[in-house]
Amino acid sequence: MKKVAILMRKAPYGSVYTAEGFRSVMGIGIFEMDAALAFVEDGVYALAKDQNPEQLDMQPLGEGFPMLPEFGVNGFYVHQPSLEERGLSVDDLVMEVQLIDNAGLAKLLAEYGTVLTF
Amino acid sequence: MLYTVNKSPLTTTNLETCLAIAPDSEPILLYEDGVYGAMDGGRLSKRIKEALERHPIYALQADLEARGIQRIIEGIQVIDYDGFVGLVEEHNVVPWI
Repeated sequence: MKKVAILMRKAPYGSVYTAEGFRSVMGIGIFEMDAALAFVEDGVYALAKDQNPEQLDMQPLGEGFPMLPEFGVNGFYVHQPSLEERGLSVDDLVMEVQLIDNAGLAKLLAEYGTVLTF
Repeated sequence: MLYTVNKSPLTTTNLETCLAIAPDSEPILLYEDGVYGAMDGGRLSKRIKEALERHPIYALQADLEARGIQRIIEGIQVIDYDGFVGLVEEHNVVPWI
C-alpha cells in the first residue's frame, strides 16, 4: 500500500494551505492509501478547539479532522515542541493524537517516504 | 501611528520587529494570524507582556474567535470591527504586514 505523510505547517485561516491539505488527505484516504497527518509549527493551531470563523465567512477547519478516520485516515501526529511553544496542550485539541518529538517526526517522515507539505 | 500586524508571531519575525521599532505609547493592532500573538502561555508571551507596559495592544475579536483562541494575555484589548475603524480614524497606520 502506498504510504503518504501530510505535513501541516500553517495556521488555519491566514492562507488556503490548511484547507487544501485537508482536501488532499481526504482524497488520499479515499484511494485507500495509508495517510498520516503530522501537525508541526503553526499547523498545530489547525486542531485547536472552539474555532468559529463564521464572522470571516469561512468554514471551521478544526472540526473536519476528527471525521477523517471515516475516510480511512488514522494516523494523527502532533509535534510536541510546537504545541508547547504555543502554550497549548492536548486538552486544547479537537481529537486524540500521538505526540512526537523531533526524532519521532523525522522517523515518521522517513517511514512514509512520500511527504506532501501544506 | 497605529502599527498593524497580521502574521503569526512564531513563523515570522513581524511582531518582534514591530515591537522593537514602534515608539513607546504607539498602539499596536493584531489581526488575522497576528492574533496568535495575543494568546498567553507561548514562547513570546513574556515579550508581549513587557510590550504592554509601553504600548496599548489591541486584538480583533472576529479573528480571535475564528481561531479558537481562549487564553488572552491580560491587558490586551479585544476590539470588534467598529473598534478597528475607530483606531484607523484616530491614527495614521503603519501596516507591518
